[in-house]
Amino acid sequence: MNASMKLLLVLLISLEVSFTHSLSANLLLISASLIYLLIHRTSLKAIMFLALVPFLPALGLFVTIYYFSPGQDLHFAWVLFTRMYVYVTVGASFTLTSTPLELALSLEQNWHLPSKFAYGTLAAFNMLPKIKSAIVTIRTAGLMRGVVLSWWSPQLYFKAILVALNWSENLAQAMISHGFVEDQPRTFYRQIKVTGLDYGFLLGILVMIQLPIWLLP
Amino acid sequence: MNQRAHWHVRDIILLALIGILFGAIFLGTNFIYDGLTVVLTPIGLAPMANDLSMGIWIMAGPLAGFMLRIPGAGFLGEFLAAIGEMFFGGQWGASTMISGAVQGIAIELGFTLTGYRFYNWLTLVLSTTTSTILTFGWDMFRNGYAAFSPQMLILLLVVRFISIFFFGGVLVKLITNLLERSHVLNR
Repeated sequence: MNASMKLLLVLLISLEVSFTHSLSANLLLISASLIYLLIHRTSLKAIMFLALVPFLPALGLFVTIYYFSPGQDLHFAWVLFTRMYVYVTVGASFTLTSTPLELALSLEQNWHLPSKFAYGTLAAFNMLPKIKSAIVTIRTAGLMRGVVLSWWSPQLYFKAILVALNWSENLAQAMISHGFVEDQPRTFYRQIKVTGLDYGFLLGILVMIQLPIWLLP
Repeated sequence: MNQRAHWHVRDIILLALIGILFGAIFLGTNFIYDGLTVVLTPIGLAPMANDLSMGIWIMAGPLAGFMLRIPGAGFLGEFLAAIGEMFFGGQWGASTMISGAVQGIAIELGFTLTGYRFYNWLTLVLSTTTSTILTFGWDMFRNGYAAFSPQMLILLLVVRFISIFFFGGVLVKLITNLLERSHVLNR
């Protein structure tokens, strides 16, 4: 499925479950996402991680609603518990099966996102491994002078922003020297299309989930 | 302050980098949220972990607004940070993006109220207020806050305001002061 269409579907589903209270629809969405992930050969380790990540916040909400809220509504407590898992599993069926590159290309070609936004953010996202090591370097450099830079220290952010300013200048220069010109029409080597099948999936799945959401508890 | 109404690719890269940088710093602080949840659950205040850490999550927005001073910078800084978080091991999957959009609009609204003319404490108080109210409204649905008692809601609202004011206000102001003094921002 086209990356931006898949993202739209995932966002619409997440938005709708935020406002509705159907436990069975939540369970259905979780199982459907897990099946989708298994079809796409997601490793079991990644799926186990998905099960672990929302557990504490989901449990916290459950306990608060069931034991400490005035209504003590068990059904609503379960709805909120499963809702956290819907967010994570449905979201993962997008993030674990699409790359930022596919999304950026699709947003640029299918939804007319200006190319400076598509490639600018992509350039930044591709720096992620270097960003992590930059933070480690800043902290270590501080420690060598006997300065502990904790996560609430303005100096840590200040130094990180200096790195970002430097890199953004370099990356922009690199893009320009490779022939990137802002606000100019571009041709595409890799063509991304939105097909009728994409629209079919989007509308079909949205219509299908309305039944359990509105009819089942 | 003069302001530029135009986005350059350099600004866009900078915003995205700041979003990811902040994400990388917070990656090591995720245990704070989880730890708070563990401590607060037995006394029935588990949602307060959310309100306490809200300020940390929205920091990228006000900072971007203060640094670039272009209309839309507050929104874009926050939203790009959320997309970055979603792709790189985000805890909340797709709803990160929705929350990011809500938080971004909320922060931007604070800057819009000043007409993008001045950038001082009042701006930070305004953006703190708008982000507290809007994100709280979103949590009424998303995290089921509507089911809580009124006393609990007031407590959570106050905690959220303090958290956003500290991280998205005081800390952002301290960081921008350092940036101003070093003259690295060519505006």
